[in-house]
Amino acid sequence: MTATQSLLLALLTPLLSAALIAFFCRRRGAIAATISVAAAASICVFTFLAIRGAEGQTLVASWDWLTFGNFNVSMGFLFDGTSATMLTMVAFVGFLIHVFSLGYMVDDKARGRFFGGLSIFMFSMLGIVLADNLIMIFVFWELVGFSSYMLIGHYLETKEAAAASKKAFIVNRIGDLGFLIGIVYAYWHFGTTNLNEMAAMVSVNPALISGTIAALLMCGFIGKSAQFPLHVWLPDAMAGPTPVSALIHAATMVAAGVYFLIRITFLFPVDVLTFIAWLGTAVAVYAGFCAYAQNDIKRILAYSTLSQLGYMSAAFGLGYPGIALFHLITHAFFKALLFLGAGSVIHGCHHEQDIFKMGGLFKKMPVTALTFLIGVLALCGVYGLAGFYSKDAILIAGGLGNTPVFVLLTLGAFLTAGYMGRLFWIAFLGQPKSDAASHAHESGLTMLVPLIVLAALSVVGGWIGFWPEQLGEIIRLDLDHLHHAEGYEGMHKTILIFGSAAWIVGLFGSFFFYGAGAKEDRLEKKASPVYGFLKDRLWFDEIYDFYVAKIQQRVADLLGFLDVFVVKGVLVRGSAGLVGLVGMCSKSLHVGNIHGYVYWFLAGLILFWAAAAGLF
Amino acid sequence: MTVGLNAFILVAGLLFAIGFLGVILRKNTLVIYMSLELMLNAVNLALVAFSRYNNTMDGNLFVFFIITVAAAEVAVGLAIIVALFRRRQTVMVDHLNALSR
Amino acid sequence: MLDILFYVFSAVTLIAALLMVLSPNAVNGAMCMIVSFVGTAAMFVLLEAYFLAILQVLVYAGAVMVLFLFIIMLLDVDKGECGFLKDKLTLASSFVGFALIAVLVCSAFAGANHLPEPGLMPVLENPTGSGAGIPFTTSSKSFGYSLFTKYMLPFQVTGFLLLAAMIGVIVVSKKTEEGK
Repeated sequence: MTATQSLLLALLTPLLSAALIAFFCRRRGAIAATISVAAAASICVFTFLAIRGAEGQTLVASWDWLTFGNFNVSMGFLFDGTSATMLTMVAFVGFLIHVFSLGYMVDDKARGRFFGGLSIFMFSMLGIVLADNLIMIFVFWELVGFSSYMLIGHYLETKEAAAASKKAFIVNRIGDLGFLIGIVYAYWHFGTTNLNEMAAMVSVNPALISGTIAALLMCGFIGKSAQFPLHVWLPDAMAGPTPVSALIHAATMVAAGVYFLIRITFLFPVDVLTFIAWLGTAVAVYAGFCAYAQNDIKRILAYSTLSQLGYMSAAFGLGYPGIALFHLITHAFFKALLFLGAGSVIHGCHHEQDIFKMGGLFKKMPVTALTFLIGVLALCGVYGLAGFYSKDAILIAGGLGNTPVFVLLTLGAFLTAGYMGRLFWIAFLGQPKSDAASHAHESGLTMLVPLIVLAALSVVGGWIGFWPEQLGEIIRLDLDHLHHAEGYEGMHKTILIFGSAAWIVGLFGSFFFYGAGAKEDRLEKKASPVYGFLKDRLWFDEIYDFYVAKIQQRVADLLGFLDVFVVKGVLVRGSAGLVGLVGMCSKSLHVGNIHGYVYWFLAGLILFWAAAAGLF
Repeated sequence: MTVGLNAFILVAGLLFAIGFLGVILRKNTLVIYMSLELMLNAVNLALVAFSRYNNTMDGNLFVFFIITVAAAEVAVGLAIIVALFRRRQTVMVDHLNALSR
Repeated sequence: MLDILFYVFSAVTLIAALLMVLSPNAVNGAMCMIVSFVGTAAMFVLLEAYFLAILQVLVYAGAVMVLFLFIIMLLDVDKGECGFLKDKLTLASSFVGFALIAVLVCSAFAGANHLPEPGLMPVLENPTGSGAGIPFTTSSKSFGYSLFTKYMLPFQVTGFLLLAAMIGVIVVSKKTEEGK
């Protein structure tokens, strides 16, 4: 079969699986799980076939979907090296997480709904990865937002899940407004929304690059990838089940924003790029600080994700989209590993999520702990593991391009090592601090095998030389650029020193500061104003809450009043009232009331008089 | 006589208005009927005045006919009112609203 | 002199009409009506339409109003029909309407920019009847002349009308027999 057919099958299989589950298997969780995992496996197979079938060429295929006059919306594939790389990662990591969910959700009553949601999410994500025009990306963007809403709110009965799913959707929507306006403007500006065509137009005529379009399209990225100021939904999204956090909020959906930016690199002028770099750096440092005041294991990992997303956008903003993609891929590996490890821990400790109630898990759950440790080391950028290569490249790019950014990113690296160390030492070492932790047991095979595979990937994922040649071409390109940039040698040595210092200082420092298996947060005890300030996370949630509750609510109430009063009262009831009035007047003719007749005579007389007087 | 046509027409108009007032205001059928006659009377006055001032006889003759017809109409109308009274035992207009059901 | 008479008689007519409309007692109203008709007859005299003045008194004030009085007394309407004066809304609206009509009429004929007044032309003694416009005379001979030449058809039709009215009245006011 041709590559196009494989891609089409890869895209439609999860949709079919979701449909099957939605219509037939909502109560039968086991069958739903099997269907969904089978769909995920077949996506991997089709991806492999597609990559082999494309033979390194860029594959373009498109079908007309809607036509209005001479406005044409098409659905199509743009399968080049970037999308091949991303597709492989999404398919493979997705499959591993599906397998993990088999074990994790085994005693959940709404398993069918969960796996249906996972399938529809895979469909939407593949749509974004393969899309060839902005409108198609937007359609699947919204679908991904919907799947995220559905999956975050999986635990229907809890209020936090419902509120978090709403928050995620609404905050994303705000970003999507800018996105939509950007798409319309791009269509107006370029006459097309097809990525290839726009790239061709821009390469011929660079004056077509418009900062406004880039800034508007960037709004979608800000919403989806949780940059300032729309980052508030990501920590709350941890209310969903852990596989969801792993898949959607670590590896794929939040990375979709960065991927989208990489797809439209050609549209960005330098000032917007610089802005993105600063935005990313800001959120990287902010999240790093916030993670120190969190006790929930998933929240710490969420802030870590925020921080790493900041790194990715900083890389993109510094002008190296390939390196951003590189960090995206490696981050997917070790962050998914960390989240799945956290899931294994939570499952083993019977849904205990506070790290200060865990402890001594290294002995009770050795495989989990070991893979988790590998993940932590990869995240901190220990030499030789996946994270090292990508983070290294970003820091070098920062050092060569923009020194303040470089300083802040290095600070972020120190912070990252610090809070990850805090997490690991407190949760896994020492003595168990609660009943649940002391009865922890190792998880089953379905949960361990994905962990092991991901751990392996976290080790080898950065060795770009070993990647198959069809994948990662853009990464190699940008790394090449970097290696040939001026001052590379000196900067490379500097980064090596700083990077190593970061993880050594961070990991060992946190070990000595917090102590293995500590019972309470030492920062909180020693410097509680600092802790309290970090815990407030710069009051973003409070500000938004105030705005929505006080300002937006008042505006909405005013509009509601106008609606009731003007539209309902005057227009609707008024016109009905007018009709009723006319009816009442006409009724007087038929009632037998002599005075009514007289009034009608008078009215007719006045009409005739007016006609005779020449009024009409 | 120095009183002009306009004065006569004014009087006729006011008489007409008073008659109309009576038709709208009163509830007794007979009084309403009398007000109608008043309106006819006003028209008569106007016609005669026009006829005199236009130096023609046509207006006067028309008034002749109007008086005749008005007399016949009053007779028939009052007969109807009597028949109505026999049926309904009332001549108040607001009680004569059987059609409203 | 004639002007004063005009003002007097027009005042009488109008005031009597107003009294008729506003009086709660129907019999009182009928009497005021008679006064109003007599006033109108006087105005006909002022307009030199002597035949019509007599006709007015004989037919209208004499026959029609007497018939009205008969029927009013036959039907024996209760005196307590003062409700119209208590219904404030109707009262107010009626007077407003009346005022409007009055103002309209007055402004048409007596206000600034009123309609132009034609002059009073002299009266001929001998009638010369012809097809177009019969000239004005004060004699009743011209009435007869016009009735039998120009207005022959309406005259005959009016005769039939009176016949029909008479028969109609008899039929309508017949008491229905039991069981029919």
